[in-house]
Amino acid sequence: MSDKIRITTSGIRGKVPEGLNVSIVSDFTSAYATYLEKGDIAVITDGRWSGRMFAHSVISSLSSSGLDTSFLRVLPTPVVQFFLKDRVFDAGISITGGHNNENWNALLLLNRDGSYPDFIEGKEIFNIYHSKDFKKVSWDNLGKIKNIDADIDKYIEKIGSIVNTEEIRKNRFKIVVDSCSSSPVKIMDKFAQYFNINLIHLNDKITGKFPHKPEPSPENSYQTEATVRATSSDIGFLFNSDGSRLSVVDEKGRGLSEEFTLPLVTRAYIKNINSQIITTVATSKIIEIIGEEFNIPVLRTKVGQPAVIHLMRAKNSEIGGEGSGSVCIRELSFGYDSFISLALILQLMAETGKPISDIIKKYDRFIMKKFKKFIPLEKSYKALHNLEKKYGKLNPMTIDGIRVEKKGVWFNIRPSTTEFALRIIIEAEDEQLLENSYAEIEDILEVY
Amino acid sequence: MKAGSDLKISVSGVRAIVGKSLTPKLIISFAEAFATWTGGGKIAVAYDSRPSREFVKNGVFAGLLSAGATPIDAGILPIPSFQIFVDSIGAQGGIAITASHNPVKWNALKLIKKGGYYLYSYEAEELFDIYNQERAKRVGLNNNSVKNYPDSFKFHLRKLLKFANIELIKKRKLKVVIDSCNGAGSPFVKSFLEELGCEVRTINTDINKIFPRNPEPVPENLSELSKEVKREKADIGFAQDADADRLAVVDENGNPIGEESTLSLAIQYYLKRKAKTDIVVNLSTTRMIEDIAKEENVRVFRAKVGEINVVEQMIKKGSKIGGEGNGGIIAGDIHFCRDSFTGMVLFLEYLAWSNKKVSELKKGLKEYFMKKTKIELSYIEYTKIFEKLKEEFSDNIEDLSDGIKIGFPEYWFHVRPSNTEPVVRIITESDSEDKSDEIMDMLINKIEKWRRYAE
Repeated sequence: MSDKIRITTSGIRGKVPEGLNVSIVSDFTSAYATYLEKGDIAVITDGRWSGRMFAHSVISSLSSSGLDTSFLRVLPTPVVQFFLKDRVFDAGISITGGHNNENWNALLLLNRDGSYPDFIEGKEIFNIYHSKDFKKVSWDNLGKIKNIDADIDKYIEKIGSIVNTEEIRKNRFKIVVDSCSSSPVKIMDKFAQYFNINLIHLNDKITGKFPHKPEPSPENSYQTEATVRATSSDIGFLFNSDGSRLSVVDEKGRGLSEEFTLPLVTRAYIKNINSQIITTVATSKIIEIIGEEFNIPVLRTKVGQPAVIHLMRAKNSEIGGEGSGSVCIRELSFGYDSFISLALILQLMAETGKPISDIIKKYDRFIMKKFKKFIPLEKSYKALHNLEKKYGKLNPMTIDGIRVEKKGVWFNIRPSTTEFALRIIIEAEDEQLLENSYAEIEDILEVY
Repeated sequence: MKAGSDLKISVSGVRAIVGKSLTPKLIISFAEAFATWTGGGKIAVAYDSRPSREFVKNGVFAGLLSAGATPIDAGILPIPSFQIFVDSIGAQGGIAITASHNPVKWNALKLIKKGGYYLYSYEAEELFDIYNQERAKRVGLNNNSVKNYPDSFKFHLRKLLKFANIELIKKRKLKVVIDSCNGAGSPFVKSFLEELGCEVRTINTDINKIFPRNPEPVPENLSELSKEVKREKADIGFAQDADADRLAVVDENGNPIGEESTLSLAIQYYLKRKAKTDIVVNLSTTRMIEDIAKEENVRVFRAKVGEINVVEQMIKKGSKIGGEGNGGIIAGDIHFCRDSFTGMVLFLEYLAWSNKKVSELKKGLKEYFMKKTKIELSYIEYTKIFEKLKEEFSDNIEDLSDGIKIGFPEYWFHVRPSNTEPVVRIITESDSEDKSDEIMDMLINKIEKWRRYAE
């Protein structure tokens, strides 16, 4: 397993330049262009430095295969996913390292409707990538290159039409937002204006560098926490670099786990949910509290946006998401969108008239711990096999590693896609249950 | 060397057909290698008007940024203006995206080093080593981005206006037709000629249109210009190639005067009115140059074919005027590069100062008849033929530095391998058309015979 580059069906991710470089990006783009054959492709970056050179490489390669580029420069991925669902472009490429550090980057491929390619499409793109048999066109058929500005108003208005805009506006919330010097910067000012928000905007310049790891979680929220306290704001938010993940800081300045984002958004959107909620085997049980309360089933699938969206589509679900702070509202797009998530959380505050710390009390019932166990790849599959045997009686889910559900505690163990390690997530009602389960797992894995 | 691939990697850069060998990855890797070779820093980028420029440019930017350089986008620019630009802004080098006189389906990266000159062959070798061994440096985090440089023509223009005797030209009230082939000279040439006080008619100066003709400024591609000169009753017609380094001239009757005479008249005027210096031209250039030198009492030095070779000799010999017989005029006052704009200045001043017509100036030159051809030949075959020629014409060898050049009092010929194609080029010149044909036939027969029977 390489620790420098990862190729998945949704794109190619790597450390710059050891893993990901302009040549690999060119080939990968050419493969996608060859797969698509034609069309007008939206290309965006998330603001990190390496995005500039990769954008040039992507644009050149698309043109070489006869595909047009609409270069929207720095923009969040969900904005383009919205435009794609609206058929403004034919497909997209988002150059973003998401939550990865600034020395990483990735190429995310977006389908005709804005979703990530599924497994079968992804395999076809790899086949072309490896064959290097890329589409080439003559000088008079080269793809055209346009620099265009996204119609951000249209996007925000669409969000405004889904959420309870009147209620949000009435409250004139004072909020702190940390855009992490990345793509959300492009949205937040107009967004705040639209929803009558008093915005305190941190890291609101795109500099190419990030002030901290672009992962929305309590670990990275100290700046937002301090600002919320200092300014007596109603709430604080953090984004990842492409605006697909969101975490919350309450009005007391406490950074909340990103696991709360999906439940909060789901609660706000509950009236629109008639089918089921889609999430993953690694996501907190908090969502099930809401599911039970409103009698809506929760379905779990593999970790990652492609699997969640795929199942949402298959089951006609209105909402899906993950514990990483990601939520997809199908009505808006087939992608994880933190802007509508943010609006819905404000709507929840407006409708309940309660501060965010009160709202989450009901859901703050679990403790969660994440561990990594470094084991060589071939042994980790053996370990998983043994875990399956050991917990067979409990009917574990095995769609992505193993998820075991016991009274008051559950855990998920799955191989990491980025390291030679097993990722272990345990969530329990109390510390003791958590420790017991951990000890049990340790015991089984010790032999490896 | 084997015929077949459209990809040509040579001392002047990399050239290929769009949709064939000119892939984004080739462009990216080559730009990475070049930025590594220059050691990063500012690298200027300009292009001619070919539609493929956007595709190629983005690939070049990606490669330069990857290697930690800062690309300076100079826009559409003639190659001489670009060479001056590279020098003037203190860039570490430059990449010109132009296939020059090649048809529109081609494009190329032409490499310019610090100071605004082409690379010497040993420098190009270093660069190819980096490219071939994939030793290009790739940097991780850096804050580089493409910088736009508007009005990048100004450095060249400033030098031209200083060099030109504008008062002299203005007095003659010349009417000029210019055909820029919709190439890189298009945006600049009209206002430039107007600043010199000419009445200007333009054809093919729209960079958004494709090339109306084969961009090589040779007589067979000048029919539209000839017609226009006659219709407009103009004093002179000029044609540029797509990157505006070479110049062709049409006389007041619409007759192309020929590439060799273009260079010769420019040099003649330079020596008469600008400065008395020795001349450097390449080995394949006409003997008119020697006639002119004799009249003006200066010496002629002959360099290997290729702009950089002529430039190297000019600098070494302290020469200020020279060029290549294909219409590539070099005046050191502006920059040591082939420059159609400099050529225009010299012609306009010549007309104004002499008060003669172009056809009369041409008549002042002794008439020669040059014949050129090329034969497909592998390099191994070529070396055998080189030895045979050396043996057979041993008493009349003029030069062996670039193929073989043989000189007799009434004719000369030059046989040299091409840098860019698996062919040998044969050039001969004498004072009668029949004789030149006869010599060419003789050489072709000999080469075909030797090639067949060569051990």
